[in-house]
This record gives sequence, structure tokens and C-alpha cells, in this order.
Amino acid sequence: MLEVEHLTKRFGGLTAVADVSFAIAQGEIVAVFGPNGSGKTTLLSMIAGVLAPTAGMIRYRGTSLVGLPPNRVVALGIAKTFQNPQLFEELTVVEHLRIAGHLMLKRRLGWRRLLTLFGGATDGERTVDARADRVVALCRLDRARDTIAADLSYGQEKMLGVAMALMCEPELLLLDEPASGLGHGEVTELERVLRDLRDQGTTLCIIDHQVKFLGRLADRAISLQHGAKIADGPPQDVLSRPEVIAAYLGASHAADTAA
Amino acid sequence: MTRPRLLTVAAIAVAVMLPLVVKSDLTLTILVFSFLLAMLAVSFNLIFGFTGQLSMFHAAAYGIGAYATHIGMRDLGLAFWPAVGFAMALVTVLSAIIGTICFRFRLKAFYFAVVTLAFAEMARLVAANWHGVTNGTLGLTLTAKPSIGWPGHAIAIDNTLAWYYLSLTALAMTIVVCSRCVHSWMGRCFVAIRLNDALGDALGIDIFRYKLLSFCIANAIAAIAGALYAHFLGYVDPSFLSVDQSLAIVAMVLLGGKGRVAAPVVGAIFLTLLPHLIHFNAEVRAIIYGSILILVILLLPKGIVGTAAEWSRRRHA
Ligand SMILES: Nc1ncnc2c1ncn2[C@@H]1O[C@H](COP(=O)(O)OP(=O)(O)OP(=O)(O)O)[C@@H](O)[C@H]1O
Ligand SMILES: [Mg+2]
Repeated sequence: MLEVEHLTKRFGGLTAVADVSFAIAQGEIVAVFGPNGSGKTTLLSMIAGVLAPTAGMIRYRGTSLVGLPPNRVVALGIAKTFQNPQLFEELTVVEHLRIAGHLMLKRRLGWRRLLTLFGGATDGERTVDARADRVVALCRLDRARDTIAADLSYGQEKMLGVAMALMCEPELLLLDEPASGLGHGEVTELERVLRDLRDQGTTLCIIDHQVKFLGRLADRAISLQHGAKIADGPPQDVLSRPEVIAAYLGASHAADTAA
Repeated sequence: MTRPRLLTVAAIAVAVMLPLVVKSDLTLTILVFSFLLAMLAVSFNLIFGFTGQLSMFHAAAYGIGAYATHIGMRDLGLAFWPAVGFAMALVTVLSAIIGTICFRFRLKAFYFAVVTLAFAEMARLVAANWHGVTNGTLGLTLTAKPSIGWPGHAIAIDNTLAWYYLSLTALAMTIVVCSRCVHSWMGRCFVAIRLNDALGDALGIDIFRYKLLSFCIANAIAAIAGALYAHFLGYVDPSFLSVDQSLAIVAMVLLGGKGRVAAPVVGAIFLTLLPHLIHFNAEVRAIIYGSILILVILLLPKGIVGTAAEWSRRRHA
């Protein structure tokens, strides 16, 4: 479904992603982990069109994604959430989802969107609202439905990010640390949401630090260190590899000495 | 009926009935000016209040609309309304070019303001120096008057009362058009661009396209307002395209409130009436006018309408 070949990103002298290649098959849940600064976010941002690769190739269902802006990538069926929740401060949860229903409306109505300006083609808006209702229920945001973004809890903000991505009807969903900063209960909820999604046929690629959470969920794991891929395989195998453990331990050692 | 809707109906009723009570030609004349400026402010709100782009080209679109309508009649032999259509088309094409330049280079905030200001100044200099066409800084006397209806059944708009209803209708139509745009997928894209364009982009919104659309619609409406204003006044000169005029429009929108379609109407009427209500000599008047503006903007960041709405919501909550 998605193929990444020799993908590299340099920021000045710093190589954030170094010659990474992998593929994601339809229906898989792929976990990406690695210590802070290992290039995880940079990798997903390149796939989503937010950052332009320095070198390498990204192909989705045969078409190259390199050079496409985010709005074109998401229109092809790849949605991404942000590591730091990105929201529209003064709007409510439902209003966020209506905006996120942009692509849905465009796909359903095509040129008939112009009719909505004259009060016609109301079926489009109704379809968007119906999906927004389902997404709100799926993401357990019922009670926050009419709350403005500035008043949401951190967990709800993260969930709203996932909810907006779902409004884009993605076939491949890229999640950047959806579980970080969530309470234990919230993580369990999130896990259930993600399983539901997988059962509905969405392919997932998830970044996380919480090795346990991803170990349970993922079919496959990719591990990064200093921007390079150091392991790729079943999560249990990858997590027990000495070099992966060293990468994490090294990072925590460094953190310990810094503290 | 909801409260805002009730207020709208009441405002329309008052505006329609007003000439039955107010007979003074001067008062009606000032109201015509304020309606046409309100039209300008409401359209500016689309690009500034909703899409969040501080365009300094709005007065230029207004001035070009006035000149181009006259030129369409004089040099192309068009009737009044087709000439207005010509002016709108011209302004839309210019806006598409300027917008493409600004938005392709991702100019934001002050950079966008400064570059659009430069284009507006260019347009003003053309108006001031292209003597053969614009008569330079002396301006043009406009004698053509529009008419409404079919050939043979046309009502000439040649007195203040007729202008009053024409400008009221034009303002109402502007509000309806802007409100339809804002309360649709299009308006959601505009708001998304203002609040967080990176997120909007990630959700599939073509930021460039919707910024351009907002800029073109706003400027095209400004062109109509300019055509009507100049022909009511009977005169157009390069000051129509000036920075002062652009800043006055910004002030009207800030004063009325930027988040709502019709709120700038209040700002426009207020700022147009104010100079006529204060009977002092010019210097004192300018100081009072300026002070009121600064105070209102400092004390009512949501504008008169935004503040009033919040106040009434809290009282009824
Ligand atoms: N826009 C940027 N400009 C310059 N350097 C950047 C930029 N974005 C990321 N980097 C650097 O690239 C490296 C990889 O960053 P990235 O955010 O991809 O790491 P990460 O694996 O997501 O880390 P974390 O777990 O902290 O989220 C880091 O050293 C970071 O400082
Ligand atoms: Mg990251």
C-alpha cells in the first residue's frame, strides 16, 4: 500500500532521517518507535507532505507523494495526527469535525457543492453531520461535543485530533504519539478505538514511546535510532533485540546523567 | 424566532420605513453614503474578519470599480449595469493576479498587508497620472445615473430617495451573499485558514485556493460599492484608492466586530454619521473622532456588535 525507499531528511548539518526504507501493507498496524529525536515525527511528516524529503521516494498505491502538499496527500487517503494537538482554539468539537468533513463533502457532492450556496444539495451536509455523530461516539467525545477547544482536557484534545483525521475517511492513518500524556484509562479507551478502526479496515501507523501499549496492538514494529532504521519485524522480536534495548537504555542513561 | 433574527427583521423594517419619517435630504444623503460604505466594510470582513488576511487592497478595488464603471460607459459604450459588471470582472482578474502573487509566496500578516498596500499605491498612482483616461488628480465628474427595471419600464435612480432604496438593496444583497458564503463549506475553509492554516491543510483544504477565492469575492463586491458611491457622489478621484480609505474600512470592521457578517454595518454607519453629529471645527472634530475610535477599539476588542451580543447572552443565560 505504502512504500518508502531510501528516505532522507537533513536539517542543515543534522540528518533527522537517514536512508529509511520500509513498506506498509493494507490492514496492518505498524508501530514506529525510537528515543526522543530519533526522527519519528520527521518521517511521518514527510509521508504526509508537511516536510519535503531531502532524498528518497514515497509511493502510495503506485503514485509518488513526493512534492505533494498535505491537502493533496490527505485527499488520496492518508491522514495524520499531530504530536502536539493542533486545534482551532475558539471552535467547538462539532465545528472542528464539520471543517474536517471538507473532503467528505467534496467527494460526495463534487460540483454540486455550489448548489449548497443556494440552499440546495442538503444531503451532503447531512452525510457529514451523520459521520460527525458516529466519530464523536467512537472517540468518546459525546460529552465534549459543544465544548470549545480551549476548554478541552489534554486527553480530549488528542482524541479530537484522531476524530478530525477520521472525518477525512483515511485508508491509512498516521498517528504521532496518540497515547503520550494520556491517563491509564484514556490509553485503554484509545486502544479500543484503534482496534475498532483496524476491524473496519483502516491501516494504521503509530508512533509511541509506550512500548507496552504498542506491543499489544501492533502487527509489526519499526525501530529508529539517530534517524536510521535499526529493526523491522514482529513487535516482540524487535523489542527484545539488543540494539533496540541499547537505543532506549542509552537514551534513558543520557537522561539520567543530564538530570 | 431567535433573537439575532428578530433584530435583523427589526433593522430591515426600520431601514425601509425610515424615509417616511426622515424627510431631510441631507440625512438621507448621509445614510446612502453609510449604506454604501457598509457594503464595503461587510465585504472586507470576508477577507479580514473571516479569512484573517489584512488586505490593504480593498480601497483600491473600490476605487478601480468606480473608475472602471465610468470607463466602461464612456469608452466601451456600455449601459450602467453592464459597466458595473465590466468593473467587477476587471477587479476580479486583478485580484486573482495579485492574490496569486501574495499567496503563492505565502505572505502572511504584515507582509501581506505591505505587499497589497504596494499594489494599491500602484493603482492610485496610475489613477493620478493617466491623465487621458482618469483626468489625473482633478478626478472625473460622473453624470450617468443608473436605472432599475426593463427598457421601457425603467425607474431612473435620480433622486436621493431612489438612491436610498437602491443602496439599501445593494447592502442587503451583499449581506445575503456574504452570509451564504460564510455559513457554508466555503466559510468553514475561510475560518480554518484564519485559525490554523497548517491544520486546515492537513484536513484537505487547499489553503491557496480558498484565500484567493475570499480575496476575489471581497474585492468584486468592493468594486460594486465603489461604482455606486462615485455615481451617487457624481465624482471620483484618486483619493478613493488611498491608504486613508483602506484604514477607514479597517476601522469600520473593528468597530462593528469582525466575527459576524453584518456587524461591520454598525461600524460603518457609526463612523459615517459621527463627523456629522459633532459640530465643532475640523481640528477638534478630528481629535474627537480619533479618540472615540481608539477608545472603542481598546475597550471593545470584539466590536460594538460582538460586545452587545456577549452582554445580552450573559444577561439571558
Ligand atoms: N523543523 C526542524 N528544523 C530543524 N531540526 C529539526 C526540525 N524538526 C526536527 N528537527 C530535528 O530532527 C531530529 C528528529 O526530530 P523528530 O521530531 O523527528 O524526532 P522524534 O523521534 O519525533 O522525537 P520525539 O520523540 O521527541 O517526538 C531532532 O534532532 C530534531 O531536533
Ligand atoms: Mg516526535
